[in-house]
Amino acid sequence: MKSLTLNHLSKTYFDPYKGTQVTALEDISLSIAPGEFVSVVGPSGCGKTTLLNVIAGFLPETSGSIRVDGKPIFGPGPDRGVVFQSFALFPWKTVLENVGFGPKMRGVGRDDRDAIAMDYLQLAGLAHAADRYPAELSGGMQQRVGVVRALANEPDVLLMDEPFASVDAQTRLTLQEELIRIWLDRRTTVLFITHDVPEAVFLANRVVVLSKGRVMNEITVDLPHPRKWDELVENDAFKLLSAQVLHSVRAA
Amino acid sequence: MAIITEEQASLWNKLQVAWVRLHQHWPNAAATLPFVPLVLAWWLTAMLEVFPRAFFPGPGEVILSLKSLIYKGILPEYLLDSITRLIVGASAGVAIAIPVGVLIGMNRHANRGLWPLLLFFQAVGDIAWLPILLVWFGFGLTTMTFVIVYTVLFPVVLNTVLGIRSINPDLLRAAHSLGASRARIIWEVVLPGALPNIMTGLRNGLGYGWRALIAAEIIVGTSGIGFLMFDARRAGSVVEIMLGMIVLGLLWYVVDAWILAPIERATGERWGMVTR
Repeated sequence: MKSLTLNHLSKTYFDPYKGTQVTALEDISLSIAPGEFVSVVGPSGCGKTTLLNVIAGFLPETSGSIRVDGKPIFGPGPDRGVVFQSFALFPWKTVLENVGFGPKMRGVGRDDRDAIAMDYLQLAGLAHAADRYPAELSGGMQQRVGVVRALANEPDVLLMDEPFASVDAQTRLTLQEELIRIWLDRRTTVLFITHDVPEAVFLANRVVVLSKGRVMNEITVDLPHPRKWDELVENDAFKLLSAQVLHSVRAA
Repeated sequence: MAIITEEQASLWNKLQVAWVRLHQHWPNAAATLPFVPLVLAWWLTAMLEVFPRAFFPGPGEVILSLKSLIYKGILPEYLLDSITRLIVGASAGVAIAIPVGVLIGMNRHANRGLWPLLLFFQAVGDIAWLPILLVWFGFGLTTMTFVIVYTVLFPVVLNTVLGIRSINPDLLRAAHSLGASRARIIWEVVLPGALPNIMTGLRNGLGYGWRALIAAEIIVGTSGIGFLMFDARRAGSVVEIMLGMIVLGLLWYVVDAWILAPIERATGERWGMVTR
């Protein structure tokens, strides 16, 4: 549980087809407190996935700085766990081996990392699938594995890139509730990228609206926990906040 | 609508049970079925003497020659020679090809430097090397090993590169952000990710290598199945030539069904990376 600080972060790249420089991120300053859950929403092309890729260290920033717990980052690293939209599970590893991958890279021995992985699988209700291969699981189950694989490495910050965008609508609601439950249990700092406004509001303490590479608006979500969809769909505060975020995104 | 009596139904059931049992004991039984009409046609053509018997012997004569060559110990010895050469050559080829493929697939400079060379030497072809190899190394194992290594090398390198390029980039990113070093990523992600393609390369490479070996044995000619066939030509023994051809086909079938296919079933297919 550590802080994530972005200071005047910018990212431009050269588009060889247009022959011009394109600005993907412009002067983004954002401070996420330890244990905070921040959602980033915006229309497609607003730079939200680029933002995550730069923070994860997959793309170099053009200017500005990224700090985790006050320390600048260099490339990808285990301090920032990533959950991918494509799940990105290793097809040749069982569920248990996938979740134990981070500890294995840290040099944790077989028995210990199996125990760690099993703990996290139990947290996600997946202990029964430990010996299966990812291809044998449903999309929802695969992404549960994706989430606990990142968590089992005990990252300072969890970065999630539209993780529930490719699972069916019913499963998505369940996964959102489970994520809240896990987050309350572990209190990891989370940056959650999504284009789904209700999802952003449901999960976060704070919603950041991104437009054309800039932070356009920040909305604090002070709904009490634990949050359940069955209660929140009727909740006026939730509806009001969702409307507020939606207007902001549509104006973007 | 056809009416099936109870007896017919029970006979059909018995046949089904027998077929399932056969399958359990010998899973590849179905693969022999297409050969039944072929052998039958061969036998008929030979028996009716459509062509002179000396030029076109029947299955019976070939089986007799098989027995005699096994009895004399010539066939087992030559077969062992050929297989040993293939295994030695193919192992060396794969041992060189996979690291080269990984280097080209992972490193842009290596790709730029090696790719044109690779395409050039691939085009030269294995058999085209034989004249110069015979001058350099003479009629021996070195020449034949060189030819097999050369033949196996290219398909495995090219497919390894292809396999690496087709790995989902998110898998590499995931491994990176889970703390894997570059060396660990090659071992844990790149090689297993490219394995289905590497297997395709190996399958092609072994197929080409096997053919190149037979050609080399015919030309270099000291022992082996290729030599057996060419030697039989000198003696005018069509029976032994046919026997050699059948052994080649059978042997490839054995390699495919007992070695390559099981590996593929246990890896890419098991992992859901290749559709069955």
